Amino acid sequence: MKLAIPLLAVCLLVIAAVELFGWQRYGNAPTSGFQIYDQSDQNAPAEFFFSRLRYNTGYGGGSGYRRGGGGWSQDFPRADHDCLVVLRRLTRIDSPSPLNVVDIGDDRMMDFPWMYAVGVANWAFTDAEALRLRNYIARGGFLMVDHFHGQDDWDRFMKGMGMVLPNAVVEDIPDSDPIFHDLYDIDEKFQIPGEQYVSTGRTYEKDGYVPAWRCIRDKNGRIVVAICYNMHLGDAWEWANDGEYPEKFSGLAFRIVLNYITYSMTH
Amino acid sequence: MFEFLFKYPPAVFTKGKLVLLSPWPVWLIPLLLLAAAAGLYWQMTRHGSLVSRARSLFIWLAQTALVALVLFLVWHPAISVARLRPQQNVVAVLLDHSKSMGLTDQDKMARLDAAQSLLKDKLMPGLSERFQVRLYGMDKDAVRVENAASLHADGNATRIGDSLKHIAAESGSMPLGAIVMLSDGGDNTGGIDRETISQLRQIRVPVHTIGFGPENFAKDIEIVEAFVPARALPNSRVSARVAIKQHGYSNQKVKLSARENGKPLAIQEITLKGDSSEQSEALLFDIGEAGPHSVQIGIDPVAGEENVKNNTLVRLINVATKKPRILYIEGEPRWEYKFIRRALEDDTSLDLVSMVRTTQNKMYRQGISSPRELEDGFPTKSEDLFVYDGLIIGCVEATYFTPAQQDLIREFANRRGGGVLFLAGRTSLTEGGYASSPMAEMLPVRISANEKTWVREQAVVELTAAGREEAITRIEEDREKNIARWKNMPKVANYQTVGSPKPGAVVLMNIVPQGKKPSPLLAVQKYGHGRVALLASAGTWRWKMWQDHTDRSHSIFWDQLLRWLVTETPGTVLTSTKQQVLADDGHLPLRVDVRDKTYMPVTGAEVEGTVVRPDGQSEIISLAPDPIEPGVYTTDYTADKPGAYVIELNAKKEKADLGRDTLTFRREDGVAENFSASQNKELLQKLSADTGGTYYTPSNAGSLTKEIAISEAGINAHENLDIWDMPVVFLIALLLRGSEWLLRRKWGVV
Repeated sequence: MKLAIPLLAVCLLVIAAVELFGWQRYGNAPTSGFQIYDQSDQNAPAEFFFSRLRYNTGYGGGSGYRRGGGGWSQDFPRADHDCLVVLRRLTRIDSPSPLNVVDIGDDRMMDFPWMYAVGVANWAFTDAEALRLRNYIARGGFLMVDHFHGQDDWDRFMKGMGMVLPNAVVEDIPDSDPIFHDLYDIDEKFQIPGEQYVSTGRTYEKDGYVPAWRCIRDKNGRIVVAICYNMHLGDAWEWANDGEYPEKFSGLAFRIVLNYITYSMTH
Repeated sequence: MFEFLFKYPPAVFTKGKLVLLSPWPVWLIPLLLLAAAAGLYWQMTRHGSLVSRARSLFIWLAQTALVALVLFLVWHPAISVARLRPQQNVVAVLLDHSKSMGLTDQDKMARLDAAQSLLKDKLMPGLSERFQVRLYGMDKDAVRVENAASLHADGNATRIGDSLKHIAAESGSMPLGAIVMLSDGGDNTGGIDRETISQLRQIRVPVHTIGFGPENFAKDIEIVEAFVPARALPNSRVSARVAIKQHGYSNQKVKLSARENGKPLAIQEITLKGDSSEQSEALLFDIGEAGPHSVQIGIDPVAGEENVKNNTLVRLINVATKKPRILYIEGEPRWEYKFIRRALEDDTSLDLVSMVRTTQNKMYRQGISSPRELEDGFPTKSEDLFVYDGLIIGCVEATYFTPAQQDLIREFANRRGGGVLFLAGRTSLTEGGYASSPMAEMLPVRISANEKTWVREQAVVELTAAGREEAITRIEEDREKNIARWKNMPKVANYQTVGSPKPGAVVLMNIVPQGKKPSPLLAVQKYGHGRVALLASAGTWRWKMWQDHTDRSHSIFWDQLLRWLVTETPGTVLTSTKQQVLADDGHLPLRVDVRDKTYMPVTGAEVEGTVVRPDGQSEIISLAPDPIEPGVYTTDYTADKPGAYVIELNAKKEKADLGRDTLTFRREDGVAENFSASQNKELLQKLSADTGGTYYTPSNAGSLTKEIAISEAGINAHENLDIWDMPVVFLIALLLRGSEWLLRRKWGVV
């Protein structure tokens, strides 16, 4: 009996460690691969897949374990699904396919030249993972990142980005850039809040008061990483059918993602 | 022997006509023969019991044949021939003194020396006795000489046709009875034209030829021909098709190279095939910057070669300064579109203008030169579409184009001479309804009307035999490395099955779906004035995404495919000539095609050219309209000095500028005679046969002096030569009678 409590404590610690590893690695979301959400998704190959990057959540900034900002699976699967529905309805892009989760450790990401990553403030890579993502971008892949807010998040995002593209220069995307005009002319942009707006009325999170549409370009000036900073497009897609979430946010969020996808398929 | 048996030389029988001189009717011969045969048969049946039936029949046949022979002789057979009258005719003797006649053959004697010796010792005495002999030295033309010994093997070229024309023209003022030509047959103009042959046949002058030199060198490699494109785009990979002939080096490995100013552009190891057989090799090289390029294509000399001067040929390639524009219409955003655009990004020699249907009603344009370009969608007028040099049709259903636009696309290749590339897709080809559109005719493959052909499955690609030699699919410079590279190429993301290639189409790559039959992936063909390609996949982007980012195979492939599409697309003014390197020949026939903006022929244009000569001086030339082909203007220019020439051509009509074009060419002297230096026996034999003459070798040329008199040219008289007294006739009679007698003795019926 004397050993019962220590043994129990050790067991609980082991279980917690395993769970923690699992959470860090995958969050609590489904595994990678194609996933049918509802009857609108066909189990058929397609030209375009809405591919979500599954990455490891790490110890941002090297200052210890951080839970804030969530993992790769936030808003999954509704946000992705809603995006696809709009894409199918409004463009000629062939995408009857199911949702797609692409693991950072899987070379098959090369078959999906467009990827979406969310909550990137806490992403962390091994050298091999960073190299894979770097190759993906260098070969012609396009990465859209979303939902991170304030200076701390930015610093941690850039720490991960620095591993992927060490010499990357981040710049604001000018209004005249083709990415805002290839499908819709998006001349007016504003901060797109997450679902918390419904209860708080705040469009910002943390100290991320000013939204920024930023990017990293390749040597030919083409956008290869589109950065949606101080905004949460994923929530705007996910809650587009909620009567309390303002339509104007969802409308802009959809127009932006459709423009970004079109850009990724034409540039 | 022949003359002993037949009394006359063979030429009498080949050129003469059989006549029967007896006044009795010819029909009497078969009548009498029939009667004799019947009589002999009756005689045979009377004594039928003495020998067997077969033996009786043989005796009857021998007797009947003898009667037939006697009857034939009684009717006085003779050969009627035309004979040149002694001392009244001229015989022209042409002695080839081109450089190839200076070659020393295995008998350790130069060909010209052998010819001069033959002429002096055997021919001239016999000819001079009966004819007036005119001696000519022959190289580029026939020039009268007094003495054969004065000729040296220094002629830069041999033009047998031109020389014969010259002699034929002179025959109007003299009784020319025959021509004797002593030559190795090494004609540098590619043969004797029909016009010359028919002119000689008209005046009935036989050309007797005496061939010198071996038919093949014991050890020699020769570049027979090298075909290169006349035009190319800057920094293009061009393909040369090289014809090689060799003797004495079967199965030997040699180095085939392309060089410019001594700098190697490409070196390729090849294995030589069997002796005297011509083999064809493809050689690919990068041509470099804009401007005229003089490329030496050759094989490095091999130890023991008898003639190394025929190992290299020079060819000229004009690298254009123009920047062709390609219009790419895509029916939907897709990865192939993106990656094609990226592939061409670093190519400053091509402009890719694209339009992609992003939604049902929106078109996104890229690479346009002004906001107005393609503002109203795909062009509806020929003058708007024909400003482009190439056209790519992506995943666009046929009915998206109006019937007029479908015809326009067809005319883009057919009339305008542009290149059209069709890409696979879910609404392309069969699924796109192309089978029932005018565009189906353009496709290099057959497509079905209603099958499911579009497959989103990854598949392996493979080069065909033709693809291994083609510049479009040459990613690696080295042929073998290129083949290996394609074997390791990532699979394409999708494909569309198509039918068999049409006649004239070439399949360069196949798609090999797992567990299914290979199907054409990349097929090309000429169509009208232009060319058409089909790529039955929209998934080559995997070649980029699944290889290291520094790998250029995807961009090289697309760059080369699209360069092929537009390199030969003409402008409104197009200058052409048969060959741009003139070997010891200054004659340059020029042709200029003049078209308007809709690429219809323009008549009544003023076409002028400024020729910049090798010495820097320039001259103006005018071209005259071709009487038969509308829109074609021609002239014959003579480049009298060796070196590089540039011709700037300009076409105008009613002061409006219709367009310009530039042509460069070279004249090279002293090279032609190094090629085809062995005896061209076939050419000499054919020349003699076509004109009624005879081909001789130096060893049997002695009989020429007897046979030459038989000719229908000049001043001649017909003679009847008796043949009843030929020894062979008596021999036949003796044989018939003797064999019958011997057999009778043997059978005991004498």
